[in-house]
Amino acid sequence: MIQVEGLTKYYGNYRAIDSLSFHADAGEIVGFLGPNGAGKTTTMRILTGYMPPSEGKATIAGFDVLEESLEVRRHIGYLPETVPLYKEMSVWQYVDYMAALHGMTGRERGDRVEEVLDKVGMTERAASMIDSLSKGMRQRVGLAQALVHRPKVLILDEPTIGLDPRQVREVRELIREVGKERTVLLSTHILSEVSQLCSRILVINQGHIVAEDDPETLGSRLQGQQRFYVRVGNADPEVVAQTIRGLANVVEAYPAERGVEVTSAKEKDARPIVSQTIVGQGWDLLELKPLGMSMEDIFMELTTEDYIAEMEGEMEEEEE
Amino acid sequence: MEGVSRSLHTLWTITKHEFALYWVSPIAYIVGGVWLFFSSLFFSLNLNQLNQSGGNAFFGGGMSPNDALSSTLNTMAFLLIFLAPGLTMRLVSEEIRSGTHELLLTSPVHDWEVIVGKWLAVWGVFTVFILISLIYPALLLWRGTPDRTQILTAYLGYWIWAGAVLAIGVLASALTQYQLVAFIISVVTTVAMFIANAFGNLITQPTLGEVFRQLTLTAHYQETMLNGTLKWVDLAYFIGLIALCLFLATQFLNSRRWRA
Repeated sequence: MIQVEGLTKYYGNYRAIDSLSFHADAGEIVGFLGPNGAGKTTTMRILTGYMPPSEGKATIAGFDVLEESLEVRRHIGYLPETVPLYKEMSVWQYVDYMAALHGMTGRERGDRVEEVLDKVGMTERAASMIDSLSKGMRQRVGLAQALVHRPKVLILDEPTIGLDPRQVREVRELIREVGKERTVLLSTHILSEVSQLCSRILVINQGHIVAEDDPETLGSRLQGQQRFYVRVGNADPEVVAQTIRGLANVVEAYPAERGVEVTSAKEKDARPIVSQTIVGQGWDLLELKPLGMSMEDIFMELTTEDYIAEMEGEMEEEEE
Repeated sequence: MEGVSRSLHTLWTITKHEFALYWVSPIAYIVGGVWLFFSSLFFSLNLNQLNQSGGNAFFGGGMSPNDALSSTLNTMAFLLIFLAPGLTMRLVSEEIRSGTHELLLTSPVHDWEVIVGKWLAVWGVFTVFILISLIYPALLLWRGTPDRTQILTAYLGYWIWAGAVLAIGVLASALTQYQLVAFIISVVTTVAMFIANAFGNLITQPTLGEVFRQLTLTAHYQETMLNGTLKWVDLAYFIGLIALCLFLATQFLNSRRWRA
């Protein structure tokens, strides 16, 4: 449904995205994960026909974003990061206007506006001025606008940013529901959001896709729940490591920083047996902590690798 | 054919939307109020002068009833230069500032449809004021025997004149996200075109001087239609000017995509 090949965008000399390639199939919810300034919005703006790419090719539902922009825009529902709303209009007028811009007419349009406002739970506020709405409600109106013409592809830029926890949950519910019947590409910098919603995650940094995986794999990589650290008081870490290595559910154990780092078998928790064994040996268990990788860690890791690769690339160029 | 009907639908949608937006903000009422206040003031002053010049007879004597109207429209044509940008300045600028242009530029509509729709809307708003002011010629027709042809061409000319000045305003608004800047650009451009013949007069080379004279706004309204002469060249001038402004405005809106 979305097909992107070698997409590159320069702002002057600055390269915002660099030969990005990915795809999203029908019925998929794909998450764009990355820090601010990674190139998420730029990519989305190219896909929605807001601006042209510098290089590369992107198609939506088989239409080229550059050559057949209008066709592409007919098939896309777009919610920009700052929801663009006409504050002096009522909720109904606004959604109705957007439906009309998408070529909908007459009774069909009225029915559809009603339907979509019901879907986002704004029916009761249909007559309210947008100016008087809370941020969460505005987000929902923005979503209604993106959905009103029944697009095949939904592009949502940071759909839950700035919302309170309850609103975040509501909006996520909504995305999950509408995502059942269409392709959704959403961007976020919140890890839990993608792992809850998306069937596939693209991690983007400095204009590159640095990782692409399903949430389970990436999640375990990011959260690293199967690794933990134990520190034992009155035994040599080398000996402890050797003992632990022989236990069930343990994949690996090696001495590190005056303790032992242990990796559990996949989807198994080795902590009970490890702690029991240590105590059974008459050793003192001083510390046991999971070695998680935070979002920051994974970004640091991914971007550092990326950085190093880039540095090496540049050095090679210089040598030539 | 499908493309044409789609465009008409889009134009209608945008025009209706923009037209409606004008009446929920005070700006249209202010501009309309000022325009109607001054035009009625000048018209009554002119009528008064007309009565005096003709002695006691209402609408008789030296000054013709048509003069009362054309003198008013002449003044109002000049005042429009400062009033029209008040209406047009927000048209595109505000969309850019508030980010709603992103919505328009990602909707399945052509950029020119956005610009033309907006211009039609503001012209429509102004047409409402002009329609209200038809009370002046109605008064003349009621109490006297003015030259009907002159009234017709003078009003038609004023309507097109307004369309052109508003088109310049739309162009100015497409240039910037700051309404005040759009206002100033619009006023400066229109004043320059208003007095372009002054530059023409400075140039001794006759052809070039004539070019400047022909580019002047006043050469195609005040000197012709306002006096009752309707020529194709004057209509073509205004239509061409409107088309040029809207074309350039479309280009500037489109360039937002590349400069974004």
